[in-house]
Amino acid sequence: MTITETERVGTGRHVTVLVDRCAGCQECVIRCPAGALSMEPASWTARVDDALCVGCRQCVRTCPFSAIVVEGPLAVATRVDPPVRHPVELHANVTETRQGYATWEEAIAEANRCLACPDPTCVRGCPAHNDIPAFVAAVRDHDLETAHAILRRTTVLPDVCSRVCNQAAQCEGSCTWSLAGGEPVAIGRLERFIADQAVIPAPVVAESTTALSVGVVGSGPAAIGAAYELLAGGARVTVYERDDRPGGLLVWGIPDFTLPDQVARRPWDDLVAAGVDLRLATSVEPGDLDQLLEAHDALVMAHGAGQALRLTVPGADLDGVGTATAFLQGAKAALDPGGDPAAFCASLGVAPGRGRRVLVLGAGNTAMDVARLARRLGLEATCVDWLDERFALARPDELAEARSEGVDVRFSRTLTSLEGFDGRVVRALLSHTTQRDRASTPVVSPDGLDVLAVDLVVMAMGYRVEEGLRARVPQTPIVKRHRGFAPGRWSASGILANPASPVCFAQPVGALALDREVGLWEAAMPRRERLWAAGDALTGPSTVVEAMAQGRRAARAILDARPSREGRGRDAEAPAPRVLVAYASASGTTARLAEVVGDELRRAGATVSVLPVERVDALALAQADALVLGSWVEGLVVARVRAARAMRDFVDGLPWLGGRPVALFCTYGVNPRTAPAELAHQVEARGGTVVASTAFGAGDRAEDARIRPTKPEAFAHRVAAQVFAPRARAVVG
Amino acid sequence: MALLTEDHSAAGFPRSHQVDPIPVAIRTRPPLDPEAVGRFAATDPPRGLDVARLKRVGGILRDRRLQFFLILPNQIIFWLVIAIGIVGTVVPGLNFATAITWYLWFCLVFVMMVVVGRAWCAMCPFGGFGEWVQRRTFFKRTTKSLGLGLKMPERVAQYGFLLSVGAFLVLTWIEEFFNIAGPGNPMATSFMVLGIVGTALVFFLTFERRTFCRYVCPLSALIGTVGAMGSVAGFRTRDRAVCLSCETKDCMRGDAEGFGCPWYTWPGSADSNAACGLCTECYKACPSDNIGLYLQPPLTSVVAPSRRRADVAWSVALLFGLVLYQQVNALGAFVSLDNWLNVHLHFPQYPNPVDYVGIIAAVAVALAAIGRLFSATFARRDLVLAPGGTSFVERTSKFRGYFVPLMYGIIPVVGADYFARQLPKFLRYVPRVPVSIGHLFGFGSTSSRLYHASLIASNAGIIAVQDLVIALGTAAAMWASWRIAGRDLAPLSRRPLAARIAATTLAGALGVVVAVLYVWMNAAN
Repeated sequence: MTITETERVGTGRHVTVLVDRCAGCQECVIRCPAGALSMEPASWTARVDDALCVGCRQCVRTCPFSAIVVEGPLAVATRVDPPVRHPVELHANVTETRQGYATWEEAIAEANRCLACPDPTCVRGCPAHNDIPAFVAAVRDHDLETAHAILRRTTVLPDVCSRVCNQAAQCEGSCTWSLAGGEPVAIGRLERFIADQAVIPAPVVAESTTALSVGVVGSGPAAIGAAYELLAGGARVTVYERDDRPGGLLVWGIPDFTLPDQVARRPWDDLVAAGVDLRLATSVEPGDLDQLLEAHDALVMAHGAGQALRLTVPGADLDGVGTATAFLQGAKAALDPGGDPAAFCASLGVAPGRGRRVLVLGAGNTAMDVARLARRLGLEATCVDWLDERFALARPDELAEARSEGVDVRFSRTLTSLEGFDGRVVRALLSHTTQRDRASTPVVSPDGLDVLAVDLVVMAMGYRVEEGLRARVPQTPIVKRHRGFAPGRWSASGILANPASPVCFAQPVGALALDREVGLWEAAMPRRERLWAAGDALTGPSTVVEAMAQGRRAARAILDARPSREGRGRDAEAPAPRVLVAYASASGTTARLAEVVGDELRRAGATVSVLPVERVDALALAQADALVLGSWVEGLVVARVRAARAMRDFVDGLPWLGGRPVALFCTYGVNPRTAPAELAHQVEARGGTVVASTAFGAGDRAEDARIRPTKPEAFAHRVAAQVFAPRARAVVG
Repeated sequence: MALLTEDHSAAGFPRSHQVDPIPVAIRTRPPLDPEAVGRFAATDPPRGLDVARLKRVGGILRDRRLQFFLILPNQIIFWLVIAIGIVGTVVPGLNFATAITWYLWFCLVFVMMVVVGRAWCAMCPFGGFGEWVQRRTFFKRTTKSLGLGLKMPERVAQYGFLLSVGAFLVLTWIEEFFNIAGPGNPMATSFMVLGIVGTALVFFLTFERRTFCRYVCPLSALIGTVGAMGSVAGFRTRDRAVCLSCETKDCMRGDAEGFGCPWYTWPGSADSNAACGLCTECYKACPSDNIGLYLQPPLTSVVAPSRRRADVAWSVALLFGLVLYQQVNALGAFVSLDNWLNVHLHFPQYPNPVDYVGIIAAVAVALAAIGRLFSATFARRDLVLAPGGTSFVERTSKFRGYFVPLMYGIIPVVGADYFARQLPKFLRYVPRVPVSIGHLFGFGSTSSRLYHASLIASNAGIIAVQDLVIALGTAAAMWASWRIAGRDLAPLSRRPLAARIAATTLAGALGVVVAVLYVWMNAAN
């Protein structure tokens, strides 16, 4: 049939450029990792060299007009996967089951599978945005030092994340090979290889004149990420941990066969050695927050989500029904050297041995951990989850390993009731469920009922943030869902195209990655004055790598904002207050007034950025100490007079402002009516503190007004007074 | 609002800890430098003719409701046409459906295409209706569309405008067969409009974007070719380097402000106005405010494009065949031929499909033969053309090297011919339009004085206007052919000047033939 055809070469791959639709934009040319695409100057369309094509389909995913068709197999070597270690004797064996590469040859062979994509989707898929192609290239070059340096720019837990991350839904799911339906590069294993082959670099501790003191509540991955970053920024860090061991979930929530203790302990060993003031067995109650804020310039709430969800079915209060938290902590201690598994089982009311069955409610990663620990305690384990297996939440390799260890995992089942004898659970009734697609809630089907004899029931359906602290951290947990249109660069990278790979286990990796960005940028926004949240405390139950990345982001926001508590002198390194002036302008009048206000604020000493609302991004918002919002007023004199829709949409889409000062102005032709007041109300609903509000009519807009200051200038002076006021107090104090 | 991403970052706070070391690891290769190619310079409209720079115009173009308000009046009129054609009077001159459609609209469309280009496409109620349904909105930017969203199979798409030409030929034959247009059949007019709306809707629900308009619409090829004479270059890049280095191509993919180009056109590489539907979506979507609405001197899109398309050339040849057929069919000799064919082929009435297709094909083949003659006469012995692709639009040959530019050169003659062909009906009957409107409200009838009025009543007067139009078109075609031949044919020819003169003469000769035919037609409708 068509079109730009070169002779089909022996590879079986053939690329067709649909020239009538090809507009010559070069999106495919600049992104092709193999250099197979170039431009035909005469027709100004893309042309292809089939011999160079590797079949990765990036061009197909990135072409804005879908003008490329690729046929044929992928040109990629077989993935190098070390075999999973199957313990000969499962009982009490907590040896790590997943293995890293044993030799450089293996690692380099795998690294050679990486295409070094010019617009790497794996980097977007990684919640921490690790520069994956760069560290893979370093492995290829046998250069561990460079590999560590590359990782250190974005992660402080390469040894942990490479073991516990669900790579199939993150970096590896977003790998070009995966999106093309093939086996992705083993990014997790390569990261682990780097982490295991050399000592992880110690935290960088900056010498600083600053007196910035930051308290961190919790010691999980979010706290670790924040502490590393704060130390690097020269802050003094004090960590409050409720338990007597630091590490949070890493220590008590993940069994040794997945994350060995020495790996989980490493970050805190390093941090304490670097000078972090770690206060163990120090519980922070909701009422303590104000006191902590008096003691520190900023607080990072990284206390996680430790309250286990409980299922309220008949029989849920019977003996022998417990939560995953207690089971995990107890089992882990029992299986540690010096522990007593038999005693732990006895404390649960079950004796190890054939036929003693634990029913684990849920089939996510926590449930798998519980079930696999139960197997190591000598118990039978059955996991039930109401989700369809296609949409399972557990990482696929974890699921496979659990099954290979004898865990009975049943999807499309939900617990209907528990029955007991003598007050102790003995039987579980499970109904069958059906689930149409990933987004839909499973429904119980009328037919099908399993009856299961059980001796112990462990609820591992997930966690939520403890109510007391949650109430003191406004607008948490956030909804981690990207709304509106995907940003252009995300679409252009091709990550949002439907993945063809079964490795992605029916998850839209691109959409999930984009959703994670919301958590990352919300972490940069204070929840209230001088208080930030990160990790599960911010988003609800999530992953180690996300928590770590959010902790780092929150720490950088603190270093950027340099908040100071009452009574402490102004930080010598504190920058001038940063004011973001965002405007919605129809004819240019509001834009000009925004510039006038911006200029006045600059004269007053602020650092100002003036942007139309459609150009304001998360970074600009996170960096701004104060906002000035200017909008034209739409409507017909008396009917539907209000701030412009663009501005209203903008304010609705704002992340939680955490009490930041916001000044408002509206520009009107005849009468602004209640537009400024309504906008103020809207801003307050997003957590902003409205410090000034006004409206400029036609007479106020004269740029050559003879009266100085003009009304816009006077407005700017009022705003400046409010923005500088807290800092002035701090200096005086 | 997509606030929570690092994209489109334009904020400028210095010394931030929050700037990610690896915000997004884009390490793409630099695009091919346009300056090295220099191919677009000749087709770029004058920088100063960007009307979107005017504040008011820019504001209007950015308004999402603009196209809705352009389409809405036409939408109302055409649904009225459908309704009134069915339930209204059977007198064509009094029925709003026939009067507005055949006496005014068709002529206006030609004026718009010659002056502007695809102005009609921006306000077309057929495509507009389909697009509203497909987008599930009148003007808002929506994410989910209705329908299957398929792409036109490349097997068809590679022929570009030719499917549209085919649709135009079929529709014209139907119109002639049922005598819908002249002097007019109200009910048939309604069904024809309804048929177009229905077909458009089916295509909009089957294919993505404006596949119907780009490939199928009966008027698309005509507007795309004749519209090249227009003085609106369409939406083009303001700075090509910005477009080439753009990492998002929102104008093609769409963003929160606008849909991706429904016409599969990228302002960064557009070298004519042929495939710009003036829908303003790219202007709205561009994150760099790098797209302008440009005016251009008349005929620029005829003369300047360096990427000449074979589908456009064959469209011109076939469309010329059709308009010549419509001239010839007014001659007595043709009537005899048609009758003779109908008798022997047992076909009920005019127009016999054999002579219809035969004449159109004969004209196209004759033009192709002229192209072949040019290549045989003028092509350099050592001429080696760059190898093209295997698709219809990409193939290269000596024949195409001459035929395609020659057909671009005669576009003004073809455009003038179509316009002149509409003039008798317009000049004679356009006063009936207000009468037909009045008739809807109970006044206005065949006894109205206006009903019997004409802008020009005499045949001689009409012929004079027709030949004046043809003279203008011929002059434009000769000028365009001279320029095109100088740039495109001369480098291929062993006698460049002779090739230029021959190309110019061809345009003139065709104009003379057309003008003579108008005299012979004696201002027939």
